[in-house]
Amino acid sequence: MFKKFKTIAVAGAVAGLLGIALSGCSTAEKAISEADCGTENAFCIGVVTDLGKVDDKSFNQAAWEGAQAGAEATSGFAKYVETTDSKDYAKNIALFGDKGYNVIVTVGFLMAEATVAAAAQYPDTKFIGVDQFNGATTTNVTGLIFDEDRAGFLAGYLAGNLTKSDKIGGVLGMKEVPPVRKFGEGYEAGIAYAAKELGKTIKSSVIYHAAGDTAFSDPAWGASTASQLLGQGFDIIFGAGGTTGNGAITKTAQTAGTFCIGVDIDQWNTVPEAQPCLVTSAEKKLVKGVTDLIIAANDGTIAAGNFVGEVGLADYHDLSSSVPQEVQDKVTAITAQIVSGELATGVKP
Amino acid sequence: MNSLVKRRGFYYALAVAIPTFYLYLQSSNVTTSVFSIAVTFAMPLALAAMVGIMCERTGIVNIGIEGTLLLTSFVAFYAAIATKSILIGFCIAMATGVAMSLLLALMSVTWKMDQIIAGTILNILATGLTSFFYIQGNMLPNMFKQKPIPGLSNIPFFGDVLFKHGVLMYLGFVVILTLYFALFHTSWGLRSRAVGEHPSAADTAGVSVSKLRYINVAVAGAIGGLCGSYLVLELVGSWNRGFTAGKGFTALALMIFGRWNPLGALAAAMFFGLSQAGANQLMIDGTVNIPPQFVGILPYVMVIIVLAISAGKVRPPAAEGQPYEKGQG
Repeated sequence: MFKKFKTIAVAGAVAGLLGIALSGCSTAEKAISEADCGTENAFCIGVVTDLGKVDDKSFNQAAWEGAQAGAEATSGFAKYVETTDSKDYAKNIALFGDKGYNVIVTVGFLMAEATVAAAAQYPDTKFIGVDQFNGATTTNVTGLIFDEDRAGFLAGYLAGNLTKSDKIGGVLGMKEVPPVRKFGEGYEAGIAYAAKELGKTIKSSVIYHAAGDTAFSDPAWGASTASQLLGQGFDIIFGAGGTTGNGAITKTAQTAGTFCIGVDIDQWNTVPEAQPCLVTSAEKKLVKGVTDLIIAANDGTIAAGNFVGEVGLADYHDLSSSVPQEVQDKVTAITAQIVSGELATGVKP
Repeated sequence: MNSLVKRRGFYYALAVAIPTFYLYLQSSNVTTSVFSIAVTFAMPLALAAMVGIMCERTGIVNIGIEGTLLLTSFVAFYAAIATKSILIGFCIAMATGVAMSLLLALMSVTWKMDQIIAGTILNILATGLTSFFYIQGNMLPNMFKQKPIPGLSNIPFFGDVLFKHGVLMYLGFVVILTLYFALFHTSWGLRSRAVGEHPSAADTAGVSVSKLRYINVAVAGAIGGLCGSYLVLELVGSWNRGFTAGKGFTALALMIFGRWNPLGALAAAMFFGLSQAGANQLMIDGTVNIPPQFVGILPYVMVIIVLAISAGKVRPPAAEGQPYEKGQG
């Protein structure tokens, strides 16, 4: 009996050690080290990812790139921690808060509540909530928000001008997350606008992942759902929702004569599998937004409340030749109208 | 009992066939598409459930299916990239599955460890290894493409639903049918089930309990490798962390739902896949404006209802989870 216990203990210990050893945590070290954080001579930036990794090819990655760029610009020090369980949000923020970090970037709508709570706990730290609308009165939280409906509208407008089958689909994450809903509804509004302009009927179908826990990390569901749309004659697929969306655009790339549209950041380099169909991405200029806010925090010019970052369509890259010049011109014109606010998307905020 | 099961199965089949035929008459394209996609949703779950059935039928609880899928899909992806051959990737993934299974067998048969802990170790190991060694930005050289089976794929409805997939999908069907036949109609199957129900009796009859458990768990690992390969080399075409998104755990529920019977688990997985594809179709058509959350919980609610109705009639193999000590029991 004792021997059996020993075996279990050893096996458990080995697994535990492996787990610890393998849970990587990298730093972009400059001359300053983490030990200097909380002192006068160091500007420290901590990034807490949402469920998902810092190289998720989407906004965790963009936020981290923004933090690194911010650290570069301010000669600061940046470090990240990856969240593996939503129960750990507060704990992970505290990892940086307790060490006196100057700026903590929390990524994702789901972390909004934890961010506001932590801000009260660490009044000297500036919090940047990526994708978090900040409705609280806390003076040290700045929400970096985007008009996703505008980016989605542009994607939909382009799709409406490119479709040959007059059927356009979308495979998205969870609808309860406002940015996802705004992307989806903006996309449909853009398609409708293009249809009206062209004087034809275009069918648009946006499918949301229903399960909460895997909504943004289920590429197999994304791929199958994209197949279902493609099989019914849809020829353009917008994939928005972490690796779920990536699965959808990767699948679309395997069918000739189709286009797909990425999301959040320019996915041309981050999802190379999708290149055969990836005409553009509905982009939130996240890297720039995070970098600007970090610099503002360093200057002391950062304002509490919300900061609206830029949106737009990413480059057409190699598919530029598949998009007629006339369509490109129309998209450019509409982009200007949308960004200036002259043309409203009609999507509820 | 057997005739009861058969009659029940007949009614279930009828309950699916009649509405399907009606829908097919209404809109043949959409109905065919929904069923065809349902099969792609169902196959990975069904194969994962086969891994569980293979293990549990011989008395080994395997909650490490998720880990097996995760690691084998990972290995399939990177081995295919490294060797520039998806076939080699597939073979190495199968070998990895077997290796993981042997580890499970070593812990639970030889070391007589708690099998839940042994399975958990597989899951932790797979998550740790794949997260650590994951490098983004790699692409597969090619994929297992859709290969319609000549002749069979021309059958209306069934041809599109069953015979217009890739090689691994067909292999999956072959594995499931073979497993069903082997488990209930061969002496190997009888021995395996005996070892799972009453190992000391099987031992007395001259069946080596440990050896059979090792073999069956190893075969289960190979099936896990097939499942992981299907996901990455045929269905999606890319890999990322947490790629399998809990399919190994869903499969455990489907295994119970299917009463530890390969065909039952296949039917359960098909039911699950059909709910998913049907839910998607409702959103595609947009004719019924049901909140996606509601549509999304549908499969789970139905599983609960079915499990509640069949409660008491579902019984796991009797010796499941117990290490076998010679001379005891």
